[in-house]
Amino acid sequence: MTDPRRSLRVGIVCPYSFDVPGGVQNHVLGLARYLRQAGHRPYVLAPGELGPSPTALDLEDFATVGAAIPVPYNGSVARVNFGPLSAARVRRWLRNGKFDLIHIHEPITPSVSLLALWAAEQPVVATFHTATPRSRSMQLASGVLRAAIEKIDAGIAVSESARNVVVQHLGRDAVVIPNGIQFDAFADRRRVHAEFAEACPKLIFLGRLDEPRKGLDVLLAAAPLIMKARPHLEVIVAGQGKRLLPPWCRGLGTISEETKIALLGSADVFVAPQLARESFGIVLLEAMASGVQIVASNLPSFVDLLGAPQDEQRLGEVFTVGDHRALAQAVLKVLDHPDSMRALRAQHAARNYDWSSVGTTVLAVYRAALSAPPARRTGLGMA
Amino acid sequence: MSTLEILTLLIIGVVILIWRITWLASRVHRATMRTERTWSALDAALVGRAQRAAELVTLPGIDPATALLVVDAAAAALEPDLCQGERERAESDLSHVLETVDPMLPAGPGQLASERARASICRRLHNDAVATALFLRRRYTVRILRLAGRTAEPRPFEMADGSICTLTAGPPDSPPSSLAYVYLAGDAAEPRAPAVGEARQPS
Repeated sequence: MTDPRRSLRVGIVCPYSFDVPGGVQNHVLGLARYLRQAGHRPYVLAPGELGPSPTALDLEDFATVGAAIPVPYNGSVARVNFGPLSAARVRRWLRNGKFDLIHIHEPITPSVSLLALWAAEQPVVATFHTATPRSRSMQLASGVLRAAIEKIDAGIAVSESARNVVVQHLGRDAVVIPNGIQFDAFADRRRVHAEFAEACPKLIFLGRLDEPRKGLDVLLAAAPLIMKARPHLEVIVAGQGKRLLPPWCRGLGTISEETKIALLGSADVFVAPQLARESFGIVLLEAMASGVQIVASNLPSFVDLLGAPQDEQRLGEVFTVGDHRALAQAVLKVLDHPDSMRALRAQHAARNYDWSSVGTTVLAVYRAALSAPPARRTGLGMA
Repeated sequence: MSTLEILTLLIIGVVILIWRITWLASRVHRATMRTERTWSALDAALVGRAQRAAELVTLPGIDPATALLVVDAAAAALEPDLCQGERERAESDLSHVLETVDPMLPAGPGQLASERARASICRRLHNDAVATALFLRRRYTVRILRLAGRTAEPRPFEMADGSICTLTAGPPDSPPSSLAYVYLAGDAAEPRAPAVGEARQPS
C-alpha cells in the first residue's frame, strides 16, 4: 500500500472540450481543485484550444490537444479529438507528465479519453458518467475496446444506473461515487445578484433549451396553469440552445457559473422537469445546496437525491414524469406553503456531496489502484 | 502466384499470428498481475478494518458485552493461516457484527467507518480484476497455448460487506462523514465478463 500522505501526480483526461460548459467538464475542474487542496498535483488534458477560467486551474497544468472537431455522437453534437495527430499528442502528454496515476473520464468516448486509455502505461482509474448504453456500437468495436477496457485498474460510476451500464455492457464493475459540488459556493445565499433581486416570486429552469429530454416543454405547458393563480410569477430559463420562448418567459441563454449560483440563490422555486436519462442530476443537487424550494420529476436519480419515499419526508416536491398538470399543482403547492425547514434539510443533505467528502472516497480508490504487488504469494484470493 | 509470393504471404501470416498471440499473452499477464495487486490491497484493507474494530474496546463508555462481541469477531478475522473459505466467513461475520453494533456505539469512530468503506472498495476492485482475468484465461487460445503459464487461477473474494450505506444526515454542525456514501449494493449486479457489448438481462 502506498503512503497515503505522498503527493500524487494525477493526469486527468476529459473527453469534452472546455470551449463549451458541461457536466463532465465541471466535474473534472472540481476534482482538480479538490486534489490541489489535498496536496496533490492534478494535470488536465482536454480537447479544444481554450482552457478553463484562470481562477479554476493554473493554465500551466492544463493541456489541450488542439482544435476540437464537432461530430454527431450519442444523440447530440460532441466536440472531440481523434486521429493519429491527437493520439501522438496524448502519448507525448502521458510520457512527459510522469504521472503516478491517470484518471480518465468517460473512457469509452471517441476522443482523448479512449486515446489515453489506449496509450496509458500507468495505473488507470476511470469514471463512467452516463447511464446510456450504446450496445450496438460497443459490439461492433468489441475487439479493440475489450483490450482497452481491460486496462482500467479501478472503475468509478457516478450512480447505480451508470454502474449497471458498466456491468452489463462492458463486463466490468465499478465503485459508485456520486458527483461532487462546491457546497459553500451555493450555500452562501448572501451573494444575491442585483439583477435577480426583484420582489416578484421567481421560478427557474436550468438545462439545454433545445434538447427535448431536458423537459422544458413540460414546464412551458404547465406555466400558464401556474400563472392563472400567480400572475406575478417570473419564469426564468437558462441554458444553451436556440429556442423561441413565449413572451412571459425570460431566457438568459448560456450563463456563467457565478450567474448560476446567483440565480439559484435568488429563486423561489427550482423546477427539474427532465424526462429521461439523467444519470446523476447534478443541477438538482446544486439547487438543493442553495436552499431553494424544489419541484422535480420522479426520475430514479432525482428520487434518490431527494430521498424518503413518504411525501412529508422528501426534500422536494415530486411529480410524474411528463405530466404538466401535476407539475403545475406541485409548483402551486410549494408557492402557497413554502417550507423553509424542508429546504434547509435539502441543503444539509447536499452538504454530503461536497468535494471534501466525495474527494476522500476518490482518493481511497486511487490508493487501492496504486497498491504495490504483494511481496510474496499469500495463497489467499489466489487459490 | 509464384512460390515466392506464396512464401511471402505465409511469412506475413505467421508474423501476424505471433503478434496476436504475444499481445493476448501480455493482456493475460497484465490481468493476472492486477489481481495480485488488488488482492494485496484487499488483504491490507481487511486487516486494517479488523484492527480498527479491535481498537473499539478502548473506546470510553463501551459496554463489556459489545466489546467482547466485536473483539471476538475481529480476532477471528485476524487469525493467521485461514483458508480462503474460512476467511470469507470470518470477514462476513465481522461485517455483520459491526453493522449490528454500529448504532449502539458511544461515539462515532470515523476511522472504522472509513476502513469499512475502504475494504468494500478494495473488494469490489479485486473481484472486478478477477472477473477480467478469468474471462481472458478461459479463452480457447489462452487455454490451448497455456498463455497463463503456471500462475494459479485467481478467485473472487466473496463476503458480506454491509448493506447500502446511504447518505447519513448528521446534526447540521457535524463535518460531513467522509466515505459514508459508498453504495455497496451487494452482489445484485456481479459482472461475469461477457464480451463487450453483449447485453445481459439484469438479474
